[in-house]
Amino acid sequence: MFTALLAVAIGATVLSGLVTVYYDIPRQMMREFRSYGANLILAPSGGAASLPAGEAERALRYFPAESVVGAAPYRYKAAKINEQPFMLAGTDPAQARKTSPYWFVNGEWPQARGDALIGQNVADTIRLAPGGEFTLTGLNSEGEGFSRDFRVSGIVQTGGTEEAFIFVSLADFDGLIGETGEFDLVECSISASADELQGFAEQIAEDVPGVTPRLVRRVTQSEVTVLAKLQSLVYLVTVIVLLLTMICVATTMMAVVAERRQEIGLKKALGAANRSVAAEFLGEGMFLGGLGGVLGSALGFAFAQTVSVNVFHRPIAFQPLFIPATLAVSVVITALASLIPVRSATDVDPAVVLRGE
Amino acid sequence: MNLLELNGVSKVYGSIYALRNIDLAVERGEWLAIMGPSGSGKTTMMNIVGGMDKPSSGTVILDGVDISKESAKNLTAIRRDKIGLIFQQFHLINYLSALENVMVAQYYHSLPDEKEALEALERVGLQDRAKHLPSQLSGGEQQRVCIARALINYPALILADEPTGNLDETNEGIVMDIFKQLHRDGSTIIVVTHDPEVAEEAQRTVVLEHGKVARIVAANGEAAAYYEK
Ligand SMILES: Nc1ncnc2c1ncn2[C@@H]1O[C@H](COP(=O)(O)OP(=O)(O)O)[C@@H](O)[C@H]1O
Ligand SMILES: [Mg+2]
Repeated sequence: MFTALLAVAIGATVLSGLVTVYYDIPRQMMREFRSYGANLILAPSGGAASLPAGEAERALRYFPAESVVGAAPYRYKAAKINEQPFMLAGTDPAQARKTSPYWFVNGEWPQARGDALIGQNVADTIRLAPGGEFTLTGLNSEGEGFSRDFRVSGIVQTGGTEEAFIFVSLADFDGLIGETGEFDLVECSISASADELQGFAEQIAEDVPGVTPRLVRRVTQSEVTVLAKLQSLVYLVTVIVLLLTMICVATTMMAVVAERRQEIGLKKALGAANRSVAAEFLGEGMFLGGLGGVLGSALGFAFAQTVSVNVFHRPIAFQPLFIPATLAVSVVITALASLIPVRSATDVDPAVVLRGE
Repeated sequence: MNLLELNGVSKVYGSIYALRNIDLAVERGEWLAIMGPSGSGKTTMMNIVGGMDKPSSGTVILDGVDISKESAKNLTAIRRDKIGLIFQQFHLINYLSALENVMVAQYYHSLPDEKEALEALERVGLQDRAKHLPSQLSGGEQQRVCIARALINYPALILADEPTGNLDETNEGIVMDIFKQLHRDGSTIIVVTHDPEVAEEAQRTVVLEHGKVARIVAANGEAAAYYEK
């Protein structure tokens, strides 16, 4: 019985560990290939600190309208919360969302004025949760001090420096810092091949003097394929582990049934119906599955955490839903694995009791 | 009316006749002993009479019902409701206490009733041993737990296969006293034994040889005489 418990626990560990990693790998990969969204950045030319909005618009017109997935302008300025320095960024939230689809937002993107999307670092430092409020202070472009209250609409995890940023709408930003009609940069997501993009970029560099287009490497098709292959590998390993667990549980239960032949025969001789005998073994098997599942969920998380920290260099998010899921799978697996042993238990002949060994 | 009737009962294992054309009737309230050398078919007969096995041919009428052709499911119900089993090896469940071992039989029969189970242990003189595990009991005590378990559901027929085979003389005496009490109370008992003294207590002794009834003797010393030959 202990062997079976061990088998279920190990099975559940590998299962919940793999599924956790499986669930997290895409997110981790997205973070690794951060440029998944934006593949072109419009930056100011030469020594200029910013690029005029009109120039950026002119540059964007070089792309066929339907190929522009998103174009998010950004303005940056240092600001403080509780005397802690952070970077304030003004953008168009709707466009930013399109150029940064890999961002993991807990809560909402800013929708109304006075809403702010804050990075995970900011949230951790100031201890803010979605729905919380904070006061932003700083100096505007004229050098005059400002102070304004914002509401946290969401907290963003990107795996990059953005986690130390506070994102607000351009309108809010302009209201605080002052309207200049210029952006620090524009992130663009263009659906075009690498060659086409290169062509557009060269043309813009030549024709639009205020703008320097920079190409950003995007996740290539082959990388996506690797990801998909990795996921199907995880599937395969999971299925194999489940099968091995079932075989191990089934053989252990078979041994237990053989060992308890006399006891089963006795119970049947005393008048136990097949239903009772089956229920006893199934119940035992499912209890085993539950116990193994609990052990496995805990060990599985530790396992996934180790893998994630070693391979991706970042911790994994705890998924509370995986515990009941692992538990349910363990119970179902042990119940299935117990079917044949239960069958052989009900087949025991009550006449064995009087015959002895 | 007879509680049990065997008519032309045979049991064949391959080419071996374990029982050959047995005719036997047992009255209600009768105490019957079965003797015979090893391999003569005693256990086979107990299994068939107790609804744990079916004869190859012939009929077995228990309490007015022909159990020789019943389905496995009905036989389970018959064992549960009509038969009390006492074994040479006791067959207690080793991880359950004496009381729980008695309650197992209640559990499969109807509902466990601790008070009633305790009373059954009291009847065999084991009320102080209720919480003991089988491993903490002597052989004689284990056999008495086994008897309490056999009696708990008021069976119509008590079957005992070598009940004193593993006991010393003192415990054999205690167990025989319990049997005598059961007999006085009107129970129908069939005891398989090698021990002429045990057989002497029964009203009749059936002697099996090679699967056949060699003879039936009354309790007048003849059984002992037979066995000493
Ligand atoms: N399951 C079985 N398969 C084959 N032969 C059996 C089986 N059970 C009993 N026998 C044979 O039937 C005969 C009677 O056995 P049994 O009833 O156990 O005798 P007893 O209890 O009188 O010693 C023996 O020859 C035994 O070998
Ligand atoms: Mg025998």
